[in-house]
Amino acid sequence: MPAHLTPRRCLLILGGVSLLLLLAMLLSLAIGSSSLPLGEVLHSGEAGQAVRDVIFNLRLPRTLAAVAVGGLLALAGCLQQVLLRNPLADPYVLGTSGGASVGALLALLLGAGLLLVNLAAALGALATIVIVFLLAGQDHSATQSRLLLTGVALAAFCGALSSLLLSMAPDGLLRGMVFWLLGDLSAAPWQWPLLALLGLLLMALWLAPVLNVMGMGLQSAHSLGLNVHTLRWGVYLLSAAACALAVTSAGMIGFVGLIVPHALRLLLGQDLRLLLPAAVLGGALVLLLADVLARTLLAPQQLPVGVVMGLIGVPVFLWQLSRRAAA
Amino acid sequence: MQVVATACLVLLLTPLRAAPVTVADDLGRLVSLSEPARRIVSLAPHVTEDLFAIGAGEWIVGAVDYSDYPPAARRIARVGGYSGFDLERIRSLRPDLIVAWGTGNPDRQLQQILRMGIPVYISQAERLEDIPVTLLRLGQLTGQQAVAQKAAGAYRTQLQQLHQRYAQRTPVRVFYQVWQRPLMTINGRQYISDALRTCGAVNVFADARALVPTVDVEAVVAARPQAIISSGGEEGDPLGSWRQWRSIPAVQHGQLHVLPKDILVRMGPRLVEGTAALCAAVEQARQALPSR
Repeated sequence: MPAHLTPRRCLLILGGVSLLLLLAMLLSLAIGSSSLPLGEVLHSGEAGQAVRDVIFNLRLPRTLAAVAVGGLLALAGCLQQVLLRNPLADPYVLGTSGGASVGALLALLLGAGLLLVNLAAALGALATIVIVFLLAGQDHSATQSRLLLTGVALAAFCGALSSLLLSMAPDGLLRGMVFWLLGDLSAAPWQWPLLALLGLLLMALWLAPVLNVMGMGLQSAHSLGLNVHTLRWGVYLLSAAACALAVTSAGMIGFVGLIVPHALRLLLGQDLRLLLPAAVLGGALVLLLADVLARTLLAPQQLPVGVVMGLIGVPVFLWQLSRRAAA
Repeated sequence: MQVVATACLVLLLTPLRAAPVTVADDLGRLVSLSEPARRIVSLAPHVTEDLFAIGAGEWIVGAVDYSDYPPAARRIARVGGYSGFDLERIRSLRPDLIVAWGTGNPDRQLQQILRMGIPVYISQAERLEDIPVTLLRLGQLTGQQAVAQKAAGAYRTQLQQLHQRYAQRTPVRVFYQVWQRPLMTINGRQYISDALRTCGAVNVFADARALVPTVDVEAVVAARPQAIISSGGEEGDPLGSWRQWRSIPAVQHGQLHVLPKDILVRMGPRLVEGTAALCAAVEQARQALPSR
């Protein structure tokens, strides 16, 4: 069992992960698909301009986008697992991302530009959030399975719609649509995802002590006088917002929202006051490292970042899991 | 006795009005017809163009989506898209020849078509020089040898002229953009690289491993191409996003060229026009190179 939570331990762990993240960010700025001489960054003239372009206008925004999206996905996954009290929950299970993909695919099919695609994805996500709310909002039962079932059913419906759109798409557009579904950090916005990540994390941390109580079971939460119903919808909205932001800016990047919170729970224990910020930092770190690999492994050929993450992350996670079981 | 044998031989060799014809297709499979094809189904837009180029366009009874050139091709009944077609509709058109596309049509459906027992010609042009060969073979199957020979000859002459004129000129470094999002290009083995060599241009991603690799913007900035060229067809301005990268020589000298739609990307008879348009764009970029 992990040690008791002390401020010292919190600081050590979060500081350590932050340091790793900082190093990973420097790495991400330093290497890429081209081997431009970094020393020329201060030179004037064309060559220096090329190096500055690559580092500050290409690698830096992409690095920040990876950090923001990774953090958002891990935060969403962490909250979702608390909300549903189900270890299989990931940010995508309740249909938020499904709605976003239907919106984005529809926009791509109609030939919309990047900005409109993002907007359509956000609208799609918002629509599913509202629908889940309307259909399952009145559930006061103790098991509260209605939220999960409504979300899963809606996700399946969105999956069918996405398949329909993909099957109707002409060949040229299909490539871009599949690419969006695989997740893509190039040209992903970073400004508002990063800001939103900070805001959502602060709100989640504010709820964390109460959520810890809820994690012990609904009965005990009730007996301690918590308004569980309102609290659950608050958590749902936080997690859906994080998921919608992540998917809207970078497409469907899988795996990070499911595995990172789990792995950290194995390492750090259940206390959300530590787990939430650690998951945000960890998600950012994992997605950033995966993106560096995706950009450089076969450079200049680019790999989908979600694929790289799954191929390397899942074996690592399974190894960790089996070690825990043996101990 | 000898006279009778000679007479028989003459009789056998004399072409009847409807002579049986056997031709090897682009994969080397033998395709036999008892008489020239008069009900043809075309399973690729460029195959439709091939057939019109040899004067067999009026005999196409079914074609796949995007068979839009020449304009008369738009009126042909549709049988689905090249990457998934309606076998039932194809069968009901009672074709006597199906011209398929080896690398574009799905293998599973090609196998089904082959089992239907209708003669199938599989076209698989991979190099610029393969196109006249396909034209000549389709000419034999449709009894249009004379027109096919003329079309093939014109194509070869024009390609040769382009090669003689441009291939040895000052090399121009070119980034050819296949697609914007995801950003895709071609490597040195793809036929557009052959067209680039014909024009005296160098593909900056010639050494990439994949035939049509996905690359990132950084790699293009680092490659410092002297011209960025794409083919039209995408929505909006497919090359507009490059203008922000002032360190790319192509951007500094205003050498972003969008070629007319389809002519360079279809493996059909207009490919030589596409190559000519490519050479013209490369030549502009060559003139814009700073003189040393």
